[in-house]
Amino acid sequence: MDVNITKHENVTTVAFVGRLDTPSAQTVTETIAPVMEAADGTVVLDCKDMTYISSSGLRIFLALRKAAAAQGGKVIVKDINNDIRQVFMMTGFLSLFDIQ
Amino acid sequence: MKLNKSEIRKSAMMNLLLVILAALALEATSVVQYYYSQKEIKEEASLRAEGQLENTRIQISDVLDQAEAAVRNNIWIAQWCIAVPDSIQRVTERVVSNNPVVVGSTMAFVPGYYKNSALFSPYTYRDGQTDELKYKTLATTEYDYPNQEWFQKGIAIESGHWSEPYIDKGGGDMLMTTFSMPVKDYSGRTAAVLTADISLGWLTSMFGDVKMYPSAFSMMASRTGKVMVSPAPAFAMYDTIQDIAASMENNEVVDVLSREMLAGESGSKTVRFRGDDYFVYYAPVERTGWSMCIIVPEDEVSGEIRTMAWLIRLLQIVGLLLLVFILRAVTRNQLKLREVSVKKDMMESDLRISRGIQMSMIPKVFPPFPDRKDIDMAGMIIPARDVGGDLYDFYMRDEKLFFCIGDVSGKGVPASLVMAITRSTFRSVSGRETSPAKIVSQMNESMADVNENNMFVTFFCGVLDMVTGKMTYCNAGHNAPLLLSDSVKELPVVPNLPLGIIADMSFQEQETELHCDDALLLYTDGLTEAEDSHHEQFGLKRVFGVLHEHRTATEHLETMRKVVNDFVGKAPQSDDLTMLLIHYLGDGSEQVSCRHLEMNNDIRQIPRLEAFVADIAVRRSLDPGLVASINLAIEEAVTNVIMYAYPKGTEGTVSIDSKDSPGLLEFTITDSGMEFDPTSAPKPDTSLDVEQRRVGGLGIHLVRSIMDSVTYQRKGGRNILKMTKKI
Repeated sequence: MDVNITKHENVTTVAFVGRLDTPSAQTVTETIAPVMEAADGTVVLDCKDMTYISSSGLRIFLALRKAAAAQGGKVIVKDINNDIRQVFMMTGFLSLFDIQ
Repeated sequence: MKLNKSEIRKSAMMNLLLVILAALALEATSVVQYYYSQKEIKEEASLRAEGQLENTRIQISDVLDQAEAAVRNNIWIAQWCIAVPDSIQRVTERVVSNNPVVVGSTMAFVPGYYKNSALFSPYTYRDGQTDELKYKTLATTEYDYPNQEWFQKGIAIESGHWSEPYIDKGGGDMLMTTFSMPVKDYSGRTAAVLTADISLGWLTSMFGDVKMYPSAFSMMASRTGKVMVSPAPAFAMYDTIQDIAASMENNEVVDVLSREMLAGESGSKTVRFRGDDYFVYYAPVERTGWSMCIIVPEDEVSGEIRTMAWLIRLLQIVGLLLLVFILRAVTRNQLKLREVSVKKDMMESDLRISRGIQMSMIPKVFPPFPDRKDIDMAGMIIPARDVGGDLYDFYMRDEKLFFCIGDVSGKGVPASLVMAITRSTFRSVSGRETSPAKIVSQMNESMADVNENNMFVTFFCGVLDMVTGKMTYCNAGHNAPLLLSDSVKELPVVPNLPLGIIADMSFQEQETELHCDDALLLYTDGLTEAEDSHHEQFGLKRVFGVLHEHRTATEHLETMRKVVNDFVGKAPQSDDLTMLLIHYLGDGSEQVSCRHLEMNNDIRQIPRLEAFVADIAVRRSLDPGLVASINLAIEEAVTNVIMYAYPKGTEGTVSIDSKDSPGLLEFTITDSGMEFDPTSAPKPDTSLDVEQRRVGGLGIHLVRSIMDSVTYQRKGGRNILKMTKKI
């Protein structure tokens, strides 16, 4: 899994490429730690190229969502595919995130 | 390796030294013993001689006392009778008659005492034969009593005098000695001597008969050295001890001896006479100035001890010879033993090499076909002795698994040789045949032909078609393998005869079909007949118990080995224990297929699951969405195990088995970690808002959401999570 973080003014975009399974969730947690610390703006989670997510990945999303809520920022989840939408649905994440 | 000559010579030298030391020790012992025994025996002889001499002295004194008393008691009568010469006769009669030891008595008057007669000496004596008293006068010119020693000394010595022994010719006419005492008249003038004679014949019989030793003899000499008693013929010709002394060889000693004897001293000496040594013990009879001695041949005293010494020496020589004999025997034995142990070492190292060669013939790397997903195998041989006669073998040819197990009768090297022959025959025959019956009968032919030692092999041979699951097999007297399917049961087999007994045997072939996830355990009787210390056998029932649970091939055998070990305890392993387990995971049936995946408890291995699921997806042409969610469910279940089943830092495994059939997928996740039931976790409330949502519990929730059924079981120390999904 590759993670590309770009910042444009107040909007931080985190683009996930590949499978966000348990092992990759560990590295991703470290990669997006800076984003988590400065989540006072808008964080866009670009899931256009994310093919798979497991509960470990969902935890990262949830943690980011909580951090943003605490810092007055917001999280937008973009372009999830159907499989992932299915997972979001099963876990009630659809109602937790602003999904575009 | 043989023992070299210098070693043998060294041990011979050691033995010689030992014998010499033993001989020296024995000799020293006997010398000391001889010395002390001789000393003791001499002391003993000396004591005995002294006792004898003292005893004799007392007896002589007694006699002398009686004679002296006879004289003294009559002195006053004699004095009174001087005035009446006719009564003198009565005095002498009294002296003799009242004292049995006295043989004669006279009262001899000083010549001219009575004016009418120059000599006057009436004599009363005891007749030698009749014991009657007889009378005569000693006042004869032939006898001339005034010149006799007894008269002259008797008149001069107031206290009385014992005469030198003499033959009294004209008096007592025998060897005698006389005690004489002066008799004074009332005017105080010495008038006569009163005497008492005692015969010395009894001395000879009393003293001469003293026999300390058989050839000892006694001798008595008078004050002047005259021999009084001498019963020894050797000395009969000598009259005085001076003469005897002169005849001795060691003159110095003898001189001292005779001088001391004459001086009335007592003691002992060793003298040499005619080439022989004699011990002489001597003591005086003070009153008479006599000297007694006892002469004992030295031979007689020390002879016994000398005989004993020779006897001891003889026994010592016998003992030494015996020692030499024993040492030789022991040394030879030791040398032999060393040779044997050297040979044994060589043999043991040969056995170790043999074992290495034997084990190298048997496939030992498991899993043997790591690239194949349709089979899992494990095998092990635990020989009872260094080299055993059990074997198994297998290999893959043309998508067929050829396998066999066998047990050679007997143990040790011969069995292992037959085992090696069996194995190579199996390889060569099965290389060109695919029918187990043909393989077995051809092996039987070639082995029965050369079987001169009547060894035989129980054998089971099978050929498994990996594509169809069809298994043909042929049994030759071996135990029926166990088939692990929905339940555990024995594979039906026709017994047939073992290999190598009779050529021209026909072996019956059998057939069965293995389904996915079926397993076959081939074993030798070392498994079922393993005995504990009470000789109870492990038995098939316990084997079934172990096989009952779901395990990989390797785990099955390891568990079996552990259970057997625990059962046997400290009892010695009685037979080879050999097992071969074949776990079929192939596509034998079009309907059902199985997959097996084994992972370490490391989350980095999780990506392997994708390929595992993809495999099933392709086979069952599953919808990609379904594939992704199944993948997700399995990942969540496996992640759970990795995260929670094993304590941090410990290694463990998790195995994933799948079984897919039309309409249904089954997954089993197994681990041997701590008990952990993921289905007991509370269901997360997915309706809560972000602040209340908890981070954990999502995984199992996803599994449950995706799968149609999720069940957990704790069995045999393992967590077993079963999931099914209808398709």
